[in-house]
Amino acid sequence: MPKPPTNAQIFMQGLWSDNPVLRQVLGICSTLAVTNLLINTLVMDAGLIFTVTMSSLTVSLLRKYTPMRIRMMAQTLIIASYVIIVDISIKAHLPDISEALGPYVGLIITNCIVMGRCEAFARNNPPWPSFLDGLAMSIGYSLVLLTIAVIREPLGFGTMFGFRVMPGGFTPWTVMIMAPGAFFTLGILVWILRAYFPQTAGEKKS
Amino acid sequence: MKKRLFSVVYMFVLTLVFTSIVSAVKVFNEEKIRTNQRVKLERIILKVLDIPVKEKTSDEALGRIYARRVKGVEVRDKPLYVGYAEDGRTIVGYAFPIGGSGFWGPIYGMVAVDPEAATILGIAFYRHSETPGLGARITEDWFTRQFQGLPLHPIEGDKKIFYLKPEGTGKARDELDAVTGATGTSRAVEAFVNRELDHFLRDLWGSVKKG
Repeated sequence: MPKPPTNAQIFMQGLWSDNPVLRQVLGICSTLAVTNLLINTLVMDAGLIFTVTMSSLTVSLLRKYTPMRIRMMAQTLIIASYVIIVDISIKAHLPDISEALGPYVGLIITNCIVMGRCEAFARNNPPWPSFLDGLAMSIGYSLVLLTIAVIREPLGFGTMFGFRVMPGGFTPWTVMIMAPGAFFTLGILVWILRAYFPQTAGEKKS
Repeated sequence: MKKRLFSVVYMFVLTLVFTSIVSAVKVFNEEKIRTNQRVKLERIILKVLDIPVKEKTSDEALGRIYARRVKGVEVRDKPLYVGYAEDGRTIVGYAFPIGGSGFWGPIYGMVAVDPEAATILGIAFYRHSETPGLGARITEDWFTRQFQGLPLHPIEGDKKIFYLKPEGTGKARDELDAVTGATGTSRAVEAFVNRELDHFLRDLWGSVKKG
């Protein structure tokens, strides 16, 4: 049996070597949808970090009691509950952002990262490493989203967090506001990253 | 057999626990969510009726202004908001919701007319799914301000109440600037706002005047 990874290793995997968006290409739908404004991205990130971390922790705590056959059902229930809590909280305290994010908060339920971490890690590991794994993976996701948003908002709206950063005569690139803009940005990011930091044998230059 | 029974009981208990937590959160926040929605609507109604409210006015202060200056009534099962002047008696205008299909999805808005329904006091679009930066610019002030003071008349033949023309080419009072780069949205807005205004003038105005 391989040695279980240390906490530091778990953390680095989520942030970098196993980064959900860049390496595993998970959670792309929300990546494309919410990254045209930094503030929306930030709220989405917070929602996802809460959901992934809490779901991983809960699944791990219950791992010894949950019957194998119904574990998916239990996971879905746990994830959905946390997502609804996030959705209600945003609606109550950040109504404007709630409207801008639209259905995407509710769709965290279907974000592959959440269930992916529950299945791949939390159900076989103790609570503390699971908590860390969830935290690292969701922060890894958040950092990528923020990177994309930092590129998209200035080019698409000429602003950063709503403050004008581009010179007066700048014509906003409408394509950056729409989903294709995110698609190009993400594609280029993954390309650069994989070219400079090859990971699997196939990616290494021969 | 025992194992299966355990699964059922386990799932039942888990569901009970989690739905209780979610319900508790919901109940706890319900009031706040409803207030948010009400405040948003009130702000829009005051805006189209041209009753000045500062951007920074607190929700409570806004609620007080609204209570003093606006009365919600129903005309033929449709909501109508009557705006009053500072004295609380003189009517300054009537606001009512409008809606129609946009380029990507439905657009909802609010429009207000003066006490004689001769001109538009103000218009606002508050829910839509138009492209950000393009069609979504119909919510911006430069676009909605053009409607203020626009003369109203029921549509006769193909003479519409207003037309949206490419930016800067409008000559007559009823030729307003469309949103550049959002022809689809502009056409949709021209169609449904004309239709809704005409509907109000023809079918509802009679009942409104009678009181």
